[in-house]
Amino acid sequence: MSVAVTPEMIGQVVISGVLSGALYAMVALGLALIFGVMRVINIAHGALLMLGAYVTFFLYSRAGLNPFLTVPIAMATLFVVGVLLQKSLVARVVDAPELSSLLLTFGISIALVNAAQNLFSSDLRAVEYVTGSWVVGGLALSRPRAIAFVFAGLVTGLAFLFLKTTRLGKAIRATSQSREVAMVCGIDVARIHLVTFGLASALAAGGGALLAVIVAIQPEMGGVWTFKSFLVIVLGGAGNYPGALLGGLLLGLVEQLASLFLTTQLSEVVAYVLLVLVLLVRPTGLLGGRQT
Amino acid sequence: MSGPRGLIALSLAVLAVALALYPAVGTGYGVRAAVQMFMWVALAGSWNLISGLTGYVSFGHVAFFGVGAYAGAILVTSGGWPWPLAALAGGLAATLLAVLIGYPCLRLKGPYFAIAMLGLNEVLRALVSYFEGLTGGGNGLSLPTADATRPVYYVMGLLAVATTLGTYLIVTSRFGLRLMTIREDEIAAEAMGIDTFHHKLAAFLLSAAGPGIAGALMARDQGYIEPISVFPLAITVTMIVMVLFGGKGTVWGPVLGAVALFVIQELVWARYPYVHPLLFGAIIVAVVLLMPRGVLGLLQTRYRLPRTI
Repeated sequence: MSVAVTPEMIGQVVISGVLSGALYAMVALGLALIFGVMRVINIAHGALLMLGAYVTFFLYSRAGLNPFLTVPIAMATLFVVGVLLQKSLVARVVDAPELSSLLLTFGISIALVNAAQNLFSSDLRAVEYVTGSWVVGGLALSRPRAIAFVFAGLVTGLAFLFLKTTRLGKAIRATSQSREVAMVCGIDVARIHLVTFGLASALAAGGGALLAVIVAIQPEMGGVWTFKSFLVIVLGGAGNYPGALLGGLLLGLVEQLASLFLTTQLSEVVAYVLLVLVLLVRPTGLLGGRQT
Repeated sequence: MSGPRGLIALSLAVLAVALALYPAVGTGYGVRAAVQMFMWVALAGSWNLISGLTGYVSFGHVAFFGVGAYAGAILVTSGGWPWPLAALAGGLAATLLAVLIGYPCLRLKGPYFAIAMLGLNEVLRALVSYFEGLTGGGNGLSLPTADATRPVYYVMGLLAVATTLGTYLIVTSRFGLRLMTIREDEIAAEAMGIDTFHHKLAAFLLSAAGPGIAGALMARDQGYIEPISVFPLAITVTMIVMVLFGGKGTVWGPVLGAVALFVIQELVWARYPYVHPLLFGAIIVAVVLLMPRGVLGLLQTRYRLPRTI
């Protein structure tokens, strides 16, 4: 395809890539936390993101709340949902073979998506709160995406601060390094699992809430996000939390580049090829991570 | 061959004869339903080969069904191939796709394979829409009309038998034992000298061929395919539910699960299409938590049945 690529176009790609990359990083951090702490890949991650998006949609359309202010509400709601899921279902398969936790969270995901289809219908819903873009030095900055970027950056920053500085955050990191040693140090590992699943669900919900402002939402929106979050983790290195940031930005950039040189239709194909290539060449991720 | 074994062999033979004669007496609806049932036996049995035996969960097995359907349909419409040959080619196409996915993803332990299969479906759907000239894109692809339901019945039936017989031969072989060793403890399997990668890959290729053939046969039978009809997540979900319900890693579990759930689906759930996937999700959760070895697993424990059923 012969597109004359100008510096403006590259600048535009970088900006759009960074804007969506922050969202990828935030959602993927949630998946990475559960994987790091429990060795469980939560297939329902995308379904939880979808629920977060609907919280924002309903608070905006029924209660008229500013959709950006609903982000913490969506996160808090899904924190509770996450804790309940962990307590009632996921906790039972944490020590089981991988097959059990994959299938269990897959079943949860199917059930949640279908419940949403029944309750909310499969119609596309949109939160049209901010539209248009700012033009900065010849580059267009989509307004909803830019605001979502700021929120995603803020939430991700807070999450890292929490993990880095608070006692609970340190306990989470300790558990993800070695569950046995954490237990010996007096950490209540079952409680850490609850908090981790809650936190991860909240991060997914935050992503969903912000997505609701950017794109039209529907119950099946989450599947792609489970996959992309995992791709981000693989890019950054499994078990390496800062790696999720790098992976998210990288995925955002690659997708935007792909839509510049190919077509947006194929952006998922590009993401997929990226996953397969990384697994072939550097399975421990770009920053290096723990071997599983 | 005496006692219970002889009895089982006899009843299987009677069943085979009855099924072989059925199209001569059955109604159009009945034969079509039987084709569907054979298809589910073949699909569930195929999923069981990779996921039940090695423990590597395939969340995208419908991809092989869809690729087989498209390969078969394109060869029949554009290439003028006879459909039985096109069905074999559909199986081959699915196997080639399995090589592409399995080679990078099965070298690694852990969830990489599961996630790669989860994303595969979306990718294929995007590709089918992109290569519109070949696949008809969203408009789908119509095959030349032909009433092939009865011959398809026999071929699909053979496929179901081949899948089940193949599973029996694998489960009772050293190859099958090695696969199950990988499932129980991959590191130990490696330490015992098993080439885990090539064993997993072989199981995966075997598990892809059946769905590819089944897809091409369904394309012939229905005469029309489109991306949503051959790549729905629901087909993967149904395969998984059938195998889990019947008993994963067994020979007859997938058959039991496929027949039981298909009959229930036709009789009961067809009336409640909207909550049907919700039920399937709930069944997966319940089976994983409450009876991880499925119905057959329960029976095996209770009646001390051999492992190889």
